[in-house]
Amino acid sequence: MRQQPMRYKKMSKLAIVAMAAIVMMTGCSGSASNATTSNEGSTDQAVTLNFWAALDPSTTEGKTIEQQIKKFDQEHTDININLQVITYDVLHDKLVAAITAGDSPDLSWGLGEWVGEFNQMNALADLTPYMNEWKDKDIFYPNVMKALTIDEKVKALPNYLGIRALLYHENILKQAGYDAPPKTWDELLQMGPVIKAKTNKYAFGFAGTGVRASQELMTYLAQKGLSIAEKQADGKYKNTWQDNPQALQKVAEVFQFYKDMNAQQVVDPNAKTWGWEEEDQNFVLAQYAMVVNGAWIEGRTSENPEGMSDVKIAAPPYSDQPATFMEVAPLFVYNTEHTKQAWEFASFLMSKEYQQAVNPSKSARTDVESDKWGKEFMKLTSQGVSFPPVSLSGISQSMEDSIARLMLKNDSPEQIATWLSQAINENLQKTNQLSGS
Amino acid sequence: MLTLREKRIRLVAYYFVLPAFAFFLLLNAYPLITVVWDSFQFKNMLNATQTGFAHLANYREVLSNEYFLTALRNTIIWTLLSVTGEYILGLSSAIALNQPIRGRTLFRGIIIIPWVVPIVIAGMTWTWMLAPDYGVINYWLIQLGVIDKPYYWLGEMNTALFTIVFVNIWRSFPFFTISLLAGLQTVSKEVMEAAAIDGAGIRVRFFYIVLPQLKTISLTLIFVHLIWTAINFDFIWIMTQGGPLYSSETLPIQIYRYAMEDYNFGNASALSSMMLGVMMTAFIMYYVINSRKSKN
Amino acid sequence: MLISKRKQWIVQSITYIVLIGFSFYCLFPFLWMVVTSLKPDNEIRTLTPSFLIQHPTIEHFINVLTGSSFLTFFKNSVYVSLVVTAASLIISIFAGYALSRFVRFRGVKLFGVAMLLSQMIPGVLLLIPLYLTMKELHLINTYNSLILAYTTFTVPLCTFMMKGFFDSIPIDMEESAEIDGCTRVGTIFRILLPVSLPSLVSTSMFGFLNSWNEFMFGFVFINDEQHRTLTPGIYLFKGLYQTDWGSMMASSVLSVLPVVIMFLFLQRFLVEGMTAGAVKG
Repeated sequence: MRQQPMRYKKMSKLAIVAMAAIVMMTGCSGSASNATTSNEGSTDQAVTLNFWAALDPSTTEGKTIEQQIKKFDQEHTDININLQVITYDVLHDKLVAAITAGDSPDLSWGLGEWVGEFNQMNALADLTPYMNEWKDKDIFYPNVMKALTIDEKVKALPNYLGIRALLYHENILKQAGYDAPPKTWDELLQMGPVIKAKTNKYAFGFAGTGVRASQELMTYLAQKGLSIAEKQADGKYKNTWQDNPQALQKVAEVFQFYKDMNAQQVVDPNAKTWGWEEEDQNFVLAQYAMVVNGAWIEGRTSENPEGMSDVKIAAPPYSDQPATFMEVAPLFVYNTEHTKQAWEFASFLMSKEYQQAVNPSKSARTDVESDKWGKEFMKLTSQGVSFPPVSLSGISQSMEDSIARLMLKNDSPEQIATWLSQAINENLQKTNQLSGS
Repeated sequence: MLTLREKRIRLVAYYFVLPAFAFFLLLNAYPLITVVWDSFQFKNMLNATQTGFAHLANYREVLSNEYFLTALRNTIIWTLLSVTGEYILGLSSAIALNQPIRGRTLFRGIIIIPWVVPIVIAGMTWTWMLAPDYGVINYWLIQLGVIDKPYYWLGEMNTALFTIVFVNIWRSFPFFTISLLAGLQTVSKEVMEAAAIDGAGIRVRFFYIVLPQLKTISLTLIFVHLIWTAINFDFIWIMTQGGPLYSSETLPIQIYRYAMEDYNFGNASALSSMMLGVMMTAFIMYYVINSRKSKN
Repeated sequence: MLISKRKQWIVQSITYIVLIGFSFYCLFPFLWMVVTSLKPDNEIRTLTPSFLIQHPTIEHFINVLTGSSFLTFFKNSVYVSLVVTAASLIISIFAGYALSRFVRFRGVKLFGVAMLLSQMIPGVLLLIPLYLTMKELHLINTYNSLILAYTTFTVPLCTFMMKGFFDSIPIDMEESAEIDGCTRVGTIFRILLPVSLPSLVSTSMFGFLNSWNEFMFGFVFINDEQHRTLTPGIYLFKGLYQTDWGSMMASSVLSVLPVVIMFLFLQRFLVEGMTAGAVKG
């Protein structure tokens, strides 16, 4: 008969017993040993605030934030801050899951596009009473606060600003014989072919896909005096382009501008499907001359010192009126039991001391001194526009699609103007924000 | 009527499957029932005014989506192409690894590598390598004179999906390799030698002896992978998010959009229920045909 | 002899060419990761990408190991994956045995269908329902949430694999054990498992790999550094406006290498173990 050697048999037996033991120990019993971060039953104990931040711990900025928060934690014996680092890429999905489960953190970072959404989900605390009591309440740029105020209620605070400016490679322009960047769309369209002919590089870049695409489209629409949704008398929103032939004409002109840039070789033909990574990467590699972008590009100097050596800043080229996209990155305070403590912490994050230390070049406070690079961007704050406070995810998707339809499906600008207006209103209706519905 | 002994054995059998079944009930069946239930409800987190029973409204909405048919077509292309490619590469690499040559162990180890690289990382790396201006693949192709200017593999509507299929095959074919190699090793040497003595050439031996041996394992592999590939979502999401202009959008991506971008769980559940229904039907048909065959 | 000398030589050459082609295809991205992780920042994203490094550096590895929580993530992944592997193995040994030997009972048949059904659910769809379930069990932000979820995902496949292995073992071995007065469990542990050690190894490797590489649930269930696992941890190097490619690739290499080495050592078992199940599938 086949007899296993004894030792082998014993070994396998031992292994199996050991495995079973592991399963027993770590099995699916309740979490006895796991410290959960709930703070029930802490009445006169210190309150723990869960704070989700998308900081980058490897950068100086990230380290400064961590230090500042530690300091606050030590100075307030009644508040403990539980800081959790979560990247923007997944922060949204995590917040949605947590809000759905009624399990949101007390405070978090976020993107401007989410303000309307989270407000629709009734997840955000009303900060108006605290704001009115606060000595610093008038120190912020008014158009920034407006972007965070819904129905006269302050629903979020400005964490930092991402204003877009025209960044240009001075050397490429000089090589083509220009000593200043274009001021208007027409100038840009004229310069484009010349730059291409003399330097063999494209003049301009944009992102045809992703969140950046809709933000850039916002800039050009605002330069024609258009907004994607207007607040109506009944407190809801509506896209009004189709009520006015002139407006539709202007929207079509914006799309025509995209088309012209592509047709006249002002932009790289690949730009129509670039995301923000391709747009940024090619710019810092000096693959093309100009881009409308944010202050973060400065951070690329260490990776591409050569490409970044000649970068200068100007206002974005415009058509009817100067305007630029202003990203207002909100600080969300959620509906929790500790709104008072959360406000205390939030107002610290908004204080001059913190903002000066962390966001010298992108603070929403008018009294923060910015460095040289940041100054150029902050100059444009007054012409900054941001998204209306409606649920945006479907709308920004439609804006992105409109560019794809223009570039990839070759629909006419007029068709797209009408299509986008309809798509925006359909999205508003789906989320019960459409005026008159 | 079962005998007493049979009853006892049946009890043992049920005890044996109980733990696995408990997991299934808690974390699969319960969510599944929720999904089917939700597909008939108005459930939109951004629109609290519409609640309650929706009849077939969710299904209608999903079917009337402009890109539903695109996504359906893409899902079929994506699934069939991926699995076909994986099988062909898996089989040819398994046959090669089954030859008595030196360095087999090393080659076997190398072929397993794609399978152990996390999908997220692999997706980002491939995206970078495929980029037109700073990606190594375009750079090399130009150096070799294969193409004369960089091509944007993931940015063109007619190649985006195929490019991701290529990457997906890269990741999954090692699974086929290992399984088919295992199958090849069960082919008995004696039979092969006897056939050779009878004058059967390499080709005859392969088609009449080797392939029939691999039939069962091949069917299992293909069946499981058809399901897995159809519901797979990671690579597409990381590399193109379904773009450009929905040219690489598949049904799972659409489900994700409904759930995590529109917060419309009603629509997401309706689409999922349909997918589940189709796959279940296919499975039942497969099962019935199979059992008929075995009866004959 | 099966084939002539000359033919043998041709077959060998073709085999080598095919295998070298496959190696290139498989290794290409992995080598790119290794090379990138050894490049200084200013050589990583250039217009002339190359596999040659001008000034090799290990700064990214140092940064990953000392300046980030990589080691914590690594430890967590090892722990979660090992527990999941052990749990899945135990559960699927019994379930697989039942599917192999007791399929005549309706309940067991039904169970087999349920296992198949579980493979058809898109993971995306489970995200929110599972989050809610975990929250009700007070498991959010604990290892157990991941262990539960991953075990559920791995058990069906492991069960089918084990079923295949048991199918290939002749039944008379058990019958003789039964006459000797062994219980069913005793039979499995004393007679069947020692014979199918390679199969156990290959099944556990599947289980391990599945939990080692999982990303989405690892991200959504875990909120803090202490409990975060590897894949979501590596993803943190992707910032909002730029990606720290050097560190990301260095940490990827560090997380892939142990698994590759493990597979190299255990691959003999992998093929052997699959062989047992391959006959009947």
